[in-house]
Amino acid sequence: MALRRPAPDGNGRRDCDPKKKRKEAEIFQALSSDPVDVAALRRMAISEGGLLVDEIRRRVWPKLLNVNTEDLPPPPGEDLRENNKDYQQVLLDVRRSLRRFPPGMPDEQREGLQEELIDSILQVLQRNPQLHYYQGYHDIVVTFLLVVGERLATALVEKLSTHHLRDFMDPTMDNTKHILNYLMPIIDQVNPELHDFMQRAEVGTIFALSWLITWFGHVLSDFRHVVRLYDFFLACHPLMPIYFAAVIVLHRAEEVLACECDMASVHHLLSQIPQDLPYETLISRAGDLFVQFPPSELAREAAQQQAERTAASTFKDFELASAQQRPDTVLRQRFRDRLRAEERAKSLLVTKPRTNRFVKLAVMGLTVALGAAALAVVKSALEWAPKFELQIFP
Amino acid sequence: MAAAVAEVESSLELSLPGGGVPGFLPPARSRIFKIIVIGDSNVGKTCLTYRFCAGRFPERTEATIGVDFRERAVDIDGERIKIQLWDTAGQERFRKSMVQHYYRNVHAVVFVYDMTNLASFHSLPLWIEECKQHLLANDIPRILVGNKCDLRSAIQVPTDVAQKFADTHSMPLFETSAKNPNDNDHVEAIFMTLAHKLKSHKPLMLSQPPDNTVHLEPAAKPAITCWC
Ligand SMILES: Nc1nc2c(ncn2[C@@H]2O[C@H](COP(=O)(O)OP(=O)(O)O)[C@@H](O)[C@H]2O)c(=O)[nH]1
Ligand SMILES: [Mg+2]
Repeated sequence: MALRRPAPDGNGRRDCDPKKKRKEAEIFQALSSDPVDVAALRRMAISEGGLLVDEIRRRVWPKLLNVNTEDLPPPPGEDLRENNKDYQQVLLDVRRSLRRFPPGMPDEQREGLQEELIDSILQVLQRNPQLHYYQGYHDIVVTFLLVVGERLATALVEKLSTHHLRDFMDPTMDNTKHILNYLMPIIDQVNPELHDFMQRAEVGTIFALSWLITWFGHVLSDFRHVVRLYDFFLACHPLMPIYFAAVIVLHRAEEVLACECDMASVHHLLSQIPQDLPYETLISRAGDLFVQFPPSELAREAAQQQAERTAASTFKDFELASAQQRPDTVLRQRFRDRLRAEERAKSLLVTKPRTNRFVKLAVMGLTVALGAAALAVVKSALEWAPKFELQIFP
Repeated sequence: MAAAVAEVESSLELSLPGGGVPGFLPPARSRIFKIIVIGDSNVGKTCLTYRFCAGRFPERTEATIGVDFRERAVDIDGERIKIQLWDTAGQERFRKSMVQHYYRNVHAVVFVYDMTNLASFHSLPLWIEECKQHLLANDIPRILVGNKCDLRSAIQVPTDVAQKFADTHSMPLFETSAKNPNDNDHVEAIFMTLAHKLKSHKPLMLSQPPDNTVHLEPAAKPAITCWC
């Protein structure tokens, strides 16, 4: 594959910043090595500034998703829009998605892209009947469309949908809800006061729903921030967006605690994401949190969230919760600090380093960028879905 | 971009306390009426709630994901009351496992259909059924709103059919438009009517209640209103 230096494009000025220049050179080196150095690309996608410009993203995103750009799915057939159960909903949502397109874009061009967006979504759905469209999916697809163009976007989104987004595309949102259940335990680990306040307010986690299922594409108005986050999420474990959500809430702890302690006030505050977040700081914080409190450590707590909230928890949840010998609320309150200390101690002990090559690559991305412990990530990544690792981390 | 953002349906800027009265801070314990707005996707739930809380039709709306929240403080018979509107996603998958939590402690329900879309009218029994499942009390005031009456030539749901349906379910019917600029006060009047109705009942929850359980008296015989 011939290597061409990217032409400067609208996103990220091609200034004389030597750090950026160096990074760019490293990325091109990783791309041109044989085989392509995906581990290095992953690291670049996570570390400061991410993949810098769309021109680079077009080259690197396919590598992060292990999509072969030489072998893209054929263009959609004539019948794409007929007999598609989701067509009406997709149409309604795409028509209303004006905000996702660059502000100065001429209407005609935008309308053309909206048509492509509809086709891209429908094509993935048609090829994967097990996937179900959700409102917000269009916010993800539009990001890929704007960066890599229709054909490649369809291929990337297809891979993403059968992996990272798989849980959101079930017939029901039960699994999505389960992922949201990780939010409060993460917050609890870092700021128990904030956690308790939010629990008292009974705010729930729906304020973070659109963050999670659109990878923040629905709520951030500056496209540069959106693609920067996509660099990060594409290089990481599929649960990373929920860690990032937790980091945003933690970042706003003071504001939250100053709120009236009721569902409406807290939901309202949190659902309005500030547009001037310190993204780079939050990204490395999310990475650190992930390493310190990997999903496997939080799984029990997350299951408990569910059990506490719903009157009739499923048998599975019950089993998980009772394995923990959950004390009643009062005891829990009283011994929470001790419990937490014990659990931390346990988490340090329980390490089953079933390392394999695939996961190590993901780990390196995190460790090199963030300088944190690797074992926890290895472990949790393996526990998440071994099949997933095989397919995504070549 | 900032200007465009402000136009979007998101609840940005909407809950400035005092609604139309800048700088007014409601007392900490003003009463709150919590109203949930439900109906099919695209019938105009977001526009209606925006219209009431911000006083105008939003230039653009986006698909609502999960639950959005808007509020406005109003004055009813000299009492400051916060009206909270919970705007929900229309897509079925969100309702099943997500929206449930937000039915809690609801004081009133607004069902919305699109007068130019018969399917959205035919979905109403499902919405009513879902609502029954989530709400413990049966006697919560409910109203039916047919939206987009400005699109006169495209109307698919005749008023008499809608009225009959509303009667069967003991709800008042309002046909309105979130958009029509000549219809300025109508959306306002609908929500205010509801607020008056709520106020005339037993005291509702306060801002910081110890326990939010509220039981309302059975609704009075529904007033049938149509201003379109
Ligand atoms: N003509 C007209 N269009 C409306 C009215 N209310 C909403 N709309 C349009 O209907 C579409 C869906 O509105 P939205 O509030 O997002 O619907 P929701 O999915 O129920 O929240 C948007 O394109 C609105 O501009 C109305 O009263 N008249
Ligand atoms: Mg809406």
